[in-house]
Amino acid sequence: MADMPLLDARDLSASAAGVTLITGLDLQVATGELVALTGPSGCGKTTLLRALAGLIDLAGGEVYFRGAARGAAGWPRFRRQVVLVQQKPALLDDSVEANLRRPFEYGVAEQSFSKEAAVETLGNFGLTSSFMAQNARALSVGEQQRVCLARALLIQPAMLLLDEPTSALDSRARDMVEALLGRVTREHGLAALVVLHDEHQAQRLCQRTVDLRPHLAPRPHTADAATPGVAR
Amino acid sequence: MNDPSSVELIQLDTARLALAAGMVTVAGAVSMALRLKLERQLAIGAVRTVVQLLLLGLVLRHVFELQSVYAIAAVIAIMIAAATRAAVTRPKRTFRGAAWRAGATLVLSGILTTVFVTTVVVGVRPWYQPQYLIPLLGMVLGNALTATALCLDALLESLSENRAEIEMELAHGATRWEAARASLAAAVHRGMIPIINAMMVVGIVSLPGMMTGQILAGADPFEAVKYQIVVMFMLAAGVSAACIMMVWLVYRHMFTDNHQLRCDAIAKRTT
Repeated sequence: MADMPLLDARDLSASAAGVTLITGLDLQVATGELVALTGPSGCGKTTLLRALAGLIDLAGGEVYFRGAARGAAGWPRFRRQVVLVQQKPALLDDSVEANLRRPFEYGVAEQSFSKEAAVETLGNFGLTSSFMAQNARALSVGEQQRVCLARALLIQPAMLLLDEPTSALDSRARDMVEALLGRVTREHGLAALVVLHDEHQAQRLCQRTVDLRPHLAPRPHTADAATPGVAR
Repeated sequence: MNDPSSVELIQLDTARLALAAGMVTVAGAVSMALRLKLERQLAIGAVRTVVQLLLLGLVLRHVFELQSVYAIAAVIAIMIAAATRAAVTRPKRTFRGAAWRAGATLVLSGILTTVFVTTVVVGVRPWYQPQYLIPLLGMVLGNALTATALCLDALLESLSENRAEIEMELAHGATRWEAARASLAAAVHRGMIPIINAMMVVGIVSLPGMMTGQILAGADPFEAVKYQIVVMFMLAAGVSAACIMMVWLVYRHMFTDNHQLRCDAIAKRTT
């Protein structure tokens, strides 16, 4: 049992708008492990993350979480444990505090919202408590990205699916987020699968890298068919 | 004092209708003077008004005389088909299967409310007596189709525009209901606003057509008002039933059992 991966994905295929992007991918992530996911632009990294979170169906393959088929105990329960943070910040048109509180209002929530914990987590991302009352959509994209990461960490998931989590950050904020992710994985056993563009960042941040290039399906049309509806 | 019931309805003969048509030519003259180029459309509109209403009059007279269930059912089917078409062509977005869902919504909300009014409230015998059933159903359908179209438009717009936020909620463990609730409530709200506004101003700003018609036909205004009250409540019930049903059907289509939002199912209307 000790060797059982937290997330075990076998023979995955992912497709967008009927076009197969990725085939035959096996992927295991252990507790406390940071794994980078790299591949050329538009190859389906975002689609794969969305499919792993179950926001869209996989084109094929099986995903097990803690040894059981993901979603077997209910999709909200699975997604509470394996939280996807998309690249483009998605925030409600409300205060930062309301945004951080929102996930605690779902039926699946086991703890209640703690303002102290929220302020502390924001602080870990370099955002002071004065941000709590501000409208989240009025913040800069980099600040929004960090609020989104704080919101995901605050519900204490077992694993994060991160799509380019530092794409809108300056180098100082990026270093802070990298250090924080490293610390949370070491101290709390958080696992993360991180889509990254920059191979140096992948080597710096993650224990290992999964390169999608051997798993890309041949494309019938242009190489830039990309994933529809996904902001780039 | 004149007893209102003693006032006879003045019959309109062809000459009087022709006089009324003369009033449309005023609009035509304005259009020509200001070079609005609306004369052609005005003329077509005037002719269509005459032809469509005369046809309706003929059909209804025939159906009222026949008192045949089949004839009434045929009229109702045509009314519902036309209302369904209007309800799904007004919104800016659509999806495959929108038409039958709107149709089912109008059938259920329209017929249930109307039949409740004819059987229980007014007590018409038999309940399908067309003089009552068809005009009442027409009023319910007219309002329900507007409400259905508004709901559909608001919900599809909200799901498309707030897709990222809804998926963010799902990704943090929200059920589809928790993630969709705000959009669903906003859509029902949008659909119900017109009838609520109408109830606020009825009798002060607007004199409803049905009531005006009854008064013109010689009915006691107080009797006409009582009917109008029934009609307003009937419309409120029909509209809320239509809003809730339409929104529920769209919700069940747009969210899968795996708590996914099927945003790709929504398409912008091209025409």
